[in-house]
Amino acid sequence: MAMKPRRSFLVVVVVVLMGSLAWADLPATASADASPGDDAAATADSVPFDPFDNPSENRSGEKDLMMQVVADPFAGLNRAMFVFNDKLYFWVLKPVASGYRVVVPTPVRVSVKDFFFNLLSPVRFVNCIFQGKWKSAEGEFCRFMVNTTAGCLGLYNVVRDKPQFNPPEEDFGQTLGYWNVDNGFFIVWPLFGPSTLRDTVGSLGDWALNPVSFMQLVNVDAGQLTSTTTNVVAYSVRVVNDTSFRIGDYETLKNASLDPYEAFRNAYIQNRLSKIAQ
Amino acid sequence: MSLKHMIGALAFFMLTTIPAAAISMEPMATIKAPVDAVIAILNDPQYKVAGTKTAQRDEIWKVVYPMFDFDEISKRTVARYWSDFNDSEKAAFTDVFAQFLGNTYIDKIQGEYHNEQIVYLGQDFYSDTYAEVKTQIVRETLSTPVNYRMIKGGEGRWMVYDIIVEGVSLVKNYRTQFASILSKDKPAQLIQRLNEKLTEQNKRLAENG
Repeated sequence: MAMKPRRSFLVVVVVVLMGSLAWADLPATASADASPGDDAAATADSVPFDPFDNPSENRSGEKDLMMQVVADPFAGLNRAMFVFNDKLYFWVLKPVASGYRVVVPTPVRVSVKDFFFNLLSPVRFVNCIFQGKWKSAEGEFCRFMVNTTAGCLGLYNVVRDKPQFNPPEEDFGQTLGYWNVDNGFFIVWPLFGPSTLRDTVGSLGDWALNPVSFMQLVNVDAGQLTSTTTNVVAYSVRVVNDTSFRIGDYETLKNASLDPYEAFRNAYIQNRLSKIAQ
Repeated sequence: MSLKHMIGALAFFMLTTIPAAAISMEPMATIKAPVDAVIAILNDPQYKVAGTKTAQRDEIWKVVYPMFDFDEISKRTVARYWSDFNDSEKAAFTDVFAQFLGNTYIDKIQGEYHNEQIVYLGQDFYSDTYAEVKTQIVRETLSTPVNYRMIKGGEGRWMVYDIIVEGVSLVKNYRTQFASILSKDKPAQLIQRLNEKLTEQNKRLAENG
């Protein structure tokens, strides 16, 4: 079946990315000096003192400042992709999500969100385990069990208000970061948006762990459920549904910036860093 | 303590039954009072009428402005280039940047406030002069962590010098943008760019009433 070529393609991509990840380690910090917009040249004494920046529980400790410096060797291409995604948002995603928000009542949208969230529980669970976060893993596992049964296959999140069942969301990019894998460099993917080399590898790992792709990878043929069309449709619904909760956020950050690309790049890096430190 | 601040505190008093919360000069109370006052203004029926948006924005700005230490915010965003600014440039930058931030975020909350809940999670002290107040904005089922980093000023008043939204520091975000501009251009040019943005923004806001 058509399954085979896709699988081998994935393997090739992973191998190539893994290879370049090791290679990217060195130039990442070196070439960062060339990009003037970075915090790169900001040595400790030129950055205003902020006592909350280096919390002691942060595993990376004083590496924190350096980790914010992520090289951007493909800045030109990335900026072009950023513009492409920006147009895609304003011309397609925003109108679709706005219409969807009008047509679909909030409780339904919440259920759709909860359903996908529950479906992807195994991904977060495995990544809790990979980082030795046993308490979080337990929380993920219990929530998954409760919501899959009492929550009607995840359509309802019955433990939303219980903090012990709602640990921070983990993904494979964070797992790699936890084990001190460097960001490599910054990438903006068409459709998927900002990422880094490390987080791209992470996303591929998470993709492999999501129940439907996992079935595909181990060659379980569940008919329509594992078909590419179903996957694409499901992904699109998830993106539109998620966006319907966040219309306006992108616009605000964009309007609030002098250089939108730089603003979103920095926001992405800071956000990921804070998640890894959690 | 300015008059505006007292109005904020007074409004807070009239709106809540929790005693003593506003009297204490604790960092969390210094956030909660104006935030509650802003929510009251957003819910105020007198501003549900068309054409009152500008008046409402001014009212919110009056309450919010004293919360922030804009000198500190400016100094921290410009960081190592701050010494390239002369005194009048420093003042001009601080002024335009404050207005720019005010416009942007007040417009956002005016446009999108739908009874979001603000949850106060707690406050951490680094020392007598540094504190962080942790909050969460809960919208529909989405909760966004918002942390206020505060410094105790000369008058013993806690003021915000950075806001961290979903782990993203506002100051650091602007720092990278300003640094890339200031590595090529003079301070005056950055101030001018901000002024242009502000003019454009004011024009748009005026059109929307």
